[in-house]
Amino acid sequence: MSQSEYAVYVENLSRCFGSFKAVSDVSFKVKSGEIFGFLGANGAGKTTTIRMLCGLLMPSSGNAVIAGYNVFTDAEKIKHNIGYMAQRFSLYEDLTVKENIEFYGGVYGLSRKQIKIKTEELLDYLKLWDHADKLTLSLPLGWKQRIALSTALLHDPGIIFLDEPTSGVDPESRRNFWTLIYQLSGKGKTIFVTTHYMDEAGFCNRLSIMKDGKIIELDQPKVLKRKYNANSMQKVFMSVIKGKKT
Amino acid sequence: MKRILYLVQKEFRQILRQKIYLSLIFVMPFIQIVVMGFAITTDVKNITVAVVDHDYSFMSRRFIDAFTQTGYFDLKSIGRSIKEAENAMQQGDVKLIIQIPFDFEKNVKNGKQPQLQVIVDGVDGNTAGIVLAYTNQITAMLQREWGSEINAEPADLRLVDVETRMVYNPMLDSVYNITPGILAVMLMVVTSFLTGMSIVREKEIGTLEQLMVTPVKKIEMILGKTIPILIVGFLLFNVGMLGIGFIFGLWIKGNLFTLYLMVVFYCFSTLGLGIFASTLAKTQQQAMFIAWFFMIFAILLSGFFIPVENMPDFVQVITLLNPVRFFMVVIREIYLKGTEIRYLWEEGLAMLILGLITFTSASMNFHKRIT
Repeated sequence: MSQSEYAVYVENLSRCFGSFKAVSDVSFKVKSGEIFGFLGANGAGKTTTIRMLCGLLMPSSGNAVIAGYNVFTDAEKIKHNIGYMAQRFSLYEDLTVKENIEFYGGVYGLSRKQIKIKTEELLDYLKLWDHADKLTLSLPLGWKQRIALSTALLHDPGIIFLDEPTSGVDPESRRNFWTLIYQLSGKGKTIFVTTHYMDEAGFCNRLSIMKDGKIIELDQPKVLKRKYNANSMQKVFMSVIKGKKT
Repeated sequence: MKRILYLVQKEFRQILRQKIYLSLIFVMPFIQIVVMGFAITTDVKNITVAVVDHDYSFMSRRFIDAFTQTGYFDLKSIGRSIKEAENAMQQGDVKLIIQIPFDFEKNVKNGKQPQLQVIVDGVDGNTAGIVLAYTNQITAMLQREWGSEINAEPADLRLVDVETRMVYNPMLDSVYNITPGILAVMLMVVTSFLTGMSIVREKEIGTLEQLMVTPVKKIEMILGKTIPILIVGFLLFNVGMLGIGFIFGLWIKGNLFTLYLMVVFYCFSTLGLGIFASTLAKTQQQAMFIAWFFMIFAILLSGFFIPVENMPDFVQVITLLNPVRFFMVVIREIYLKGTEIRYLWEEGLAMLILGLITFTSASMNFHKRIT
């Protein structure tokens, strides 16, 4: 397969901040429709990597092609084809749910009519009709995260980047969120997700584990469990991080 | 370009939900104009005077009366001892000593040159200058009065050399000068701060990052931020003009639309400054400090308090980079004299050029990437 046939194609990607190498020589490929997980401790380089792939941060060296566009030269074209949800909250809390949807729809270049249809679809799907005209501020975090994800997908992108989308959310909301991710994957969307929850890591089709800016393990969760002779992702992760192999 | 509409709509929704913005637009101009209009006055009143009168004549009495009648002077003492008067000045009890010599009346009547001594407390140089100017005006008046009495040519009787006449602001009423200046400063402070802070606020809460991964163009983001703030500033400016009119009875003499055009030219720079501050700052506090750093120079070097002509030559050259300096001239000219645009195009052009440079270079510094 050539570079542009992969949803995400990354080769020897690095990013330095001064003398600190936040991401060093990372390489991987993600196929369309895959749920690709990024696991690692805080500061391992997950967010830096995801930001480079979204065209938010200029890589220091290497190569990355997202949806057929190069991050160095075509960052703006990438933005038409991806959805992004950061670990920091991305809705306007002083706007209502409807107004947030309208705003992001407008920013993504949807027409008034499309925005209206999308808003109704989303409110139906999220069962938020009762709260449509409430300020986002007043909603529970789990709901906000699902609305945030929905607004990031208003332009129907093929690839979705999620940077610790569920941090700080209660277990039930996390499960709801992952239901949403599976549905999206079922529609053929590529999902690129970072997390530090071990159970979530197990939901991914393939998983990479990062440490100190490097990918030190990359495979399907079940293969990794077998390889490290572990019955949970927690044990796999601890073995990988400590660097012992069986 | 349709995206700008959504961005502007969003800003206005946010602005209207924050009561602080509404009070900023409607209450702040009134308070500032009232307080500063009355407080910042370069009129010097209640100047304490000690008179040392060695002549005790009709003319010396007339001279003293001429001072007290103006209402600006507060006569503390009339005596014969210069020592006492000097002590009073030393202690800060009087700001001005007038010494009238022996034979003052006789000399005036004989057409000789009488010599008056005026001593001004120069600790506050600004006040001293104004006190001296008042003194000059009063003596000049007496000179004319006595000149005709004794049938001498005015030139024969010289109490003072300089006669100053004030046009357009005959009473030298500083309210007329200060209040349009307040509008200029207020417009800059509000538009720069709001631009800088509203961009950095989105940086802080993370929505800016979200906007950066959308296909929205850089110029759309910038215009989406600055257009609403320009409108807020424009509203505030108009409320301020009404305030000046109702409170001080000072209404614009010249063409309102000329002034509006100049406001737009001026705001290119002030909005640009806000964008510039936002590109350097990570927090709203930092944005405020950066914007304030430039603003303090812009205000002090604008001619708002200190006339540009009074500044050293090299500072005068620096003021040519200051848009506030040009707007200060423009707003005072249009407000007080009704000056037409054809006499103000140079200032307008200067503001436009400075504005475009500031705005574009700040925008070029604004990136859709995190650094």
